[in-house]
Amino acid sequence: MRRQGFTQSRYVIIPAMSLTLEEVEHIAELARLELTEAEKARYREQLSAVLDYIARLQELDTENIPPTSSVLPARTPLRPDVPRPGLPLEELMKNAADTEQEQFRVPPVLD
Amino acid sequence: MTEYEAVIGLETHIQLNTQSKIFCSCKADSWNDPPNTNICPVCTGLPGVLPVTNRVVVEKAALLAAAMHAEIQPVSFFDRKNYFYPDLPKGYQISQYDRPLARGGYLDVPLPDGTTRQVTIEKLHIEEDAGKTKNDNGRRLIDFNRCGVPLIEMVTGPDLRSADEAAQYLIRLRQLLRWLGVSEADMEKAHLRCDANVSIRMVGADYLNPKTEIKNVNSIVAVKEAVQTEIERQIREVEAGKRIEAWTLEWDEDAGVLRKMRSKETEADYRYFREPDLLPIHISEAWLAHILQELPELPLERRARFISQYGLPEYDADILTGERSLSDYFEAAVALYPSDPKRVSNWLLNDLMRMLNESGKLASELRLTPDYLVEIIRLVDAGTVNTTTGKSLLDKVEASGKRPGEIVNAEGLAQVSDTGAIRQAAQQIVSANPEQVQSYRKGKTTLIGWFVGQLMRETRGKADPQLARSILEELLSE
Repeated sequence: MRRQGFTQSRYVIIPAMSLTLEEVEHIAELARLELTEAEKARYREQLSAVLDYIARLQELDTENIPPTSSVLPARTPLRPDVPRPGLPLEELMKNAADTEQEQFRVPPVLD
Repeated sequence: MTEYEAVIGLETHIQLNTQSKIFCSCKADSWNDPPNTNICPVCTGLPGVLPVTNRVVVEKAALLAAAMHAEIQPVSFFDRKNYFYPDLPKGYQISQYDRPLARGGYLDVPLPDGTTRQVTIEKLHIEEDAGKTKNDNGRRLIDFNRCGVPLIEMVTGPDLRSADEAAQYLIRLRQLLRWLGVSEADMEKAHLRCDANVSIRMVGADYLNPKTEIKNVNSIVAVKEAVQTEIERQIREVEAGKRIEAWTLEWDEDAGVLRKMRSKETEADYRYFREPDLLPIHISEAWLAHILQELPELPLERRARFISQYGLPEYDADILTGERSLSDYFEAAVALYPSDPKRVSNWLLNDLMRMLNESGKLASELRLTPDYLVEIIRLVDAGTVNTTTGKSLLDKVEASGKRPGEIVNAEGLAQVSDTGAIRQAAQQIVSANPEQVQSYRKGKTTLIGWFVGQLMRETRGKADPQLARSILEELLSE
């Protein structure tokens, strides 16, 4: 039996009909986004619409259909274990915002 | 006083010893390399790149899974574990979640009291490592060398019952990893990392109490000390009527104390989803059979066989199977000297182990091959050289790479069993040391050792000591 009104993925159960404001804030926090109140309201609406659409797909009976993880031929190509030089340091550091002692320097982060 | 027992599970991260990284061709091991020298657009997460899986990572992971008696899955998937941290350049770690490479499994851990603890494996999957963050006076510097280094995450069930058992598990795991050749398993170099989950309960209870997680334990000794410290703290808390809270603790090795870590509010919200850039790993029966050709007899099996087949004491068998090339060495030597395996074992335990410890070499790297060792034992057996000379031959063969017999001839080391020659040397010593002879004759017969020593020096250690002693005794009693 499939519960109506829920998208049920393997990972999470998200109530689809109305995403709460707290959920929008939580998602924004996970994505490290700072949203204004207006944005929160707008994204709540938009994300809810997406989830509503997913909920419609959930109405289909997929009982005997294996999940599709990819539409490509399902076999990963494998590489021989042979090391090769990567990029020179200066090349890789070119776009870094800040570097020091041949390392990328980042601002302090909350632990 | 109530009896408590500890309930411990270990989460280990094992660095595989491949040449290249898991999803790109950068060199995998950066030990002693300067920061950011083994990196490329793939492992630093630049836009537009695609990961390609290293075949040997899958093979080594499958080999380890087989050795842990886990069920290798014909199809497994990669997933993204999403979180933000400066040393994770892509913003996600490629890992495995609900369809890992292997399921189930266990490791048998022999305990000092002779019993065996079977430790179940709850999780075994492949993932990539993150980079390293260095805090330097409030500045945070990032080295991406370690990004994309292949890891196996392996989590045990709550099956260990003491700090000592936790240490024993790690010792046996490290032995197995080296035995299989899948990891250097050096905890000091972070090839093997360990977090410990610890709780306590009444002895005999079948429920689990809230646990704490200890992070940052970087040696087997540290795991033992940290877990013991935490068990004692939990017992004190419970005895004082307090509740155990699910803290994350950090072990401060220098101070020998556990510190509570600040927990991240959003912890465990990793929003796993299938890695869209990678296709599933298919392990065909043919490929698996090919991989399992490399699966050797495992350490505990070999240990049991050494006891039953060669009649070795458990102590000998345990040491000889501590490391694979030593046990191979022993078997090669016994094949050449099948009459007395214990005698071969004695030479290995007493002398070869010393040479290995001093040189830091593996048994397979010695110039003193099993063939040469057996030749030395036979030279001693035949009385061609005495035991002391035999033992000194070990180092001489190792230093020169020459056959023992060749060295004996070239240096004239053969034991002097010629009664005439020994008698002549003995007479010289007796006439040159009248004082000692007098005290010997007055009853201080322990001086015989001194006389034998003089004679051995005179003959540069080559005299048959038994013969020398009896000739000296004869001369001195005249």
